[in-house]
Amino acid sequence: MTAAEAAAARRARPAPRASRLIPGGEGLAFAALLAFVAGLCGAPLLLLLEVGLGDGLAPVAKALESGSVRRALWRSLESGAASALLATGLGTALALAIGLTDVRAKPALVFLVLLPMMIPPHVTAIAWIQALGPGSPVLKPLGLAPELGATHPLYSREGVILLLAVQHSPLVFLAVRAALRALPREMAEAARAAGASGPRVLRRVILPLIAPALIAGFALAFVSALGNFGIPALLGIPARYITLPVLIWQRLASFGPGMLEGVAVLAFLIACVAAAAVAVQGLLARRAKAVLSGPPSAPLDWALGRWRPATEAGVWAVIALTLVLPLGALLGTALVPTYGVDLSVETLTLRHFREIVFGQSVTWRAFGNSVLAAGGASAILAGTALGLGAFLARGGARGRAAGAAAGVADLAYAVPGLVISIAFILAFIRPLPLIGVSLYGTLWIILLAYLAAFLAIALKPVGAAVAQLDPALDDAARVAGAGWGRRLRRVFAPMTAPAAASGAILVFLTAYNEVTVSALLWSSGHETVGTVIFNYEDGGYTTLASAMSAVTVALTALLMLLLDRLGRRLPPGVVPWR
Amino acid sequence: MRLVLAAAFAAALAPGLAAAASGKLVIYTSQPNADAQQTVDAFTARHPDVEVEWIRDGTTKIMAKLRAEFEAGAPQPDVLLIADMVTMEGLEAEGRLTAYPEADVSAYDPAIMDPEGHYFSTKLITTGIMYNTAAPMVPTSYADLLKPEAEDRIAMPSPLTSGAATIHMATLTSNPELGWDYYEALADQGANPQGGNGGTYRAVAGGEKLYGFVVDFLPIRNKLEGAPVEFVFPEEGVSAVTEPVAILSTAKNPEAAKAFIDFLLSPEGQQLAADQGYLAAHPAIDPPDGFPPRDAIKLMPFDPAAALADDEKNKLRFVDIFGG
Repeated sequence: MTAAEAAAARRARPAPRASRLIPGGEGLAFAALLAFVAGLCGAPLLLLLEVGLGDGLAPVAKALESGSVRRALWRSLESGAASALLATGLGTALALAIGLTDVRAKPALVFLVLLPMMIPPHVTAIAWIQALGPGSPVLKPLGLAPELGATHPLYSREGVILLLAVQHSPLVFLAVRAALRALPREMAEAARAAGASGPRVLRRVILPLIAPALIAGFALAFVSALGNFGIPALLGIPARYITLPVLIWQRLASFGPGMLEGVAVLAFLIACVAAAAVAVQGLLARRAKAVLSGPPSAPLDWALGRWRPATEAGVWAVIALTLVLPLGALLGTALVPTYGVDLSVETLTLRHFREIVFGQSVTWRAFGNSVLAAGGASAILAGTALGLGAFLARGGARGRAAGAAAGVADLAYAVPGLVISIAFILAFIRPLPLIGVSLYGTLWIILLAYLAAFLAIALKPVGAAVAQLDPALDDAARVAGAGWGRRLRRVFAPMTAPAAASGAILVFLTAYNEVTVSALLWSSGHETVGTVIFNYEDGGYTTLASAMSAVTVALTALLMLLLDRLGRRLPPGVVPWR
Repeated sequence: MRLVLAAAFAAALAPGLAAAASGKLVIYTSQPNADAQQTVDAFTARHPDVEVEWIRDGTTKIMAKLRAEFEAGAPQPDVLLIADMVTMEGLEAEGRLTAYPEADVSAYDPAIMDPEGHYFSTKLITTGIMYNTAAPMVPTSYADLLKPEAEDRIAMPSPLTSGAATIHMATLTSNPELGWDYYEALADQGANPQGGNGGTYRAVAGGEKLYGFVVDFLPIRNKLEGAPVEFVFPEEGVSAVTEPVAILSTAKNPEAAKAFIDFLLSPEGQQLAADQGYLAAHPAIDPPDGFPPRDAIKLMPFDPAAALADDEKNKLRFVDIFGG
């Protein structure tokens, strides 16, 4: 049946049976989804805006008159766009190498490409500063470290861009890989059979087909960079390269009574930039839309022949640079008595690890809290993304409303975590109506903030998958009499499950190591991994912070292995590295 | 172990003193975790009926949290124990603090206590000069940092981020010998203010920079562990933040809050600070290991009220000189 026939059939039978049996089931679900997005992503930010812009837009105009605000705005745009471009290049190259060719040890490669995301961004920045600085535990023994007192090469615009790109390339990698998974292999195989060379198929068939994922990946990397605080704070401030989130931090540090207003105005600026980016993405995605369908199929593995060793060496080199170098520096710092002492057989000590693993009860509490909050958020958001995605797939008023909800989610993601933190205090410090209990000071408020801040990440891969979905399938099921719930379960979910799963894993990894969203929401007993590491670092315990980061990475690797075991029972394409 | 001793010492010295406090006490503090835990443990050993809930974070984040709580009309803490007097002056001016004029401050330098008893300094965290032991020149004064050997080798915390750096700037620039000329000269030397004290310490200890302004206890403590750093109390003197403690006007448990302040100001509480490696505010408590004798440490004059009034102006001027 063609799409036109299906559409005609739909007109002929406007009310499918099942939705009559559960009156308003679809409408109810839709209303619940919209309320979820409006209540969590929209309302707290509106409350904060009310504080800053209660009397109109005059404060924004005034802020834009300031040279430092205009400079920060430009630098946010510049570093965001440049790093997103780099991240898209790197992430796509890795995804193509691993997803299309016959390189060996694919599961291990995917695993290692994703691992850098597990380290909180400010820890990554510190690890890189250590790794390339004069005291580098990696370069010093090799005699490659820069001379004492030399200006650090990463303290520059380029340093900020490079690290943002490294931090966010796994986001692009996952988005592109999910799209490659959903790609029916027939087209590529047909082109190959017709005699097209590998690069030609890549250029003329594969890349056009995964264009929506490329655009989504770029947008995700751009918006992530826009809201990133840890990297520009550590590398940009010394280079006097101040981005908007760092400017917000400096406003926070002014402590005065007018502080919240200033923060709200700057947050509004970031939200505007994000809104523009999202609009452009929507426009591009519509142009690049390629409709095709087919269940997730076995991954392609083109034989590279004599190019295989070179490709493999390239992939491993990227991993060595993005994972081994900073992790090595981190480990080196965790093993010396105090920061600045050279690592040697005499100075090596395990006492920081002993302290973290056995001495501090907060370590395990924080792991428990982070796993619970990040795990809960990723499960809930995967479901939400599937639901919203089902409406996104369709036109009409509901499709537009779902699109608007996705836009609000993007704004909440682009606004720096600290701002979300403040907005959530404003929204949730008072006891909730009806139940009369305040969520402030509990783990729940952190979970809710994660839901608000990271919905966009869960939605991006699903949105890209939906854009590739052929509406004829849904129409055909509808004609066959399947109700909304059944179509969602039997048609839509199986097609988008890999995308939703990679979205859920992205959410988990991002929430698990974040430090800014929970920055002001944590309380004693409800610490998160990121805040504990940040607090050690901030209190001057660099060695403890490094040890805790190393333990975090190890535990996360374990967690991923566990997921891997579990993945054997899940449908193909759900666990990204299987 | 030290903690148990301190607690036992405290209990033995002052039996039956102010034991009436009870209930829940919420403290927001910027002390490092381990120190905050020790302080709270020693306090609850004295006041077992008080259940202390404490949150530790950098002054910036603690104040951001508190500001949002003010805005929502539900400030949580009873007691605030943060880095500097200027922030306390600001809160006092907004009417956010309750005075506790009955507190016994007779032994202390009146310059570091609020005359009406709105806040009380608990220790002296001085800012002087630290250097990496690999540095070619050993500085003894602020003027030494203007020598050619120090060019492009200086790290300093930014007053836009760090309370201690704000006070250091206010102290030095209001000093007739140094003034704003000194800060302008530092900018010409390529000094690059960044982040907080932790970042400055890391930059010098890791050898990215060789000299820096930093709070005393970071290099002094870490030097004892073998870090390649040294701290200098410059000839001109040092600035100090005093980690003041105050009761919020919205405190739900003012009795326990007063007991907490009494404890911090008691000789036992002050000895605890010294045991943790800080210079106690109480003049009779000996400085901890690694510090020079107390009379060798010269504090430069500082007026918190004037610093608050000039805060905005100072920061703008700072941004002018260093480009933010």
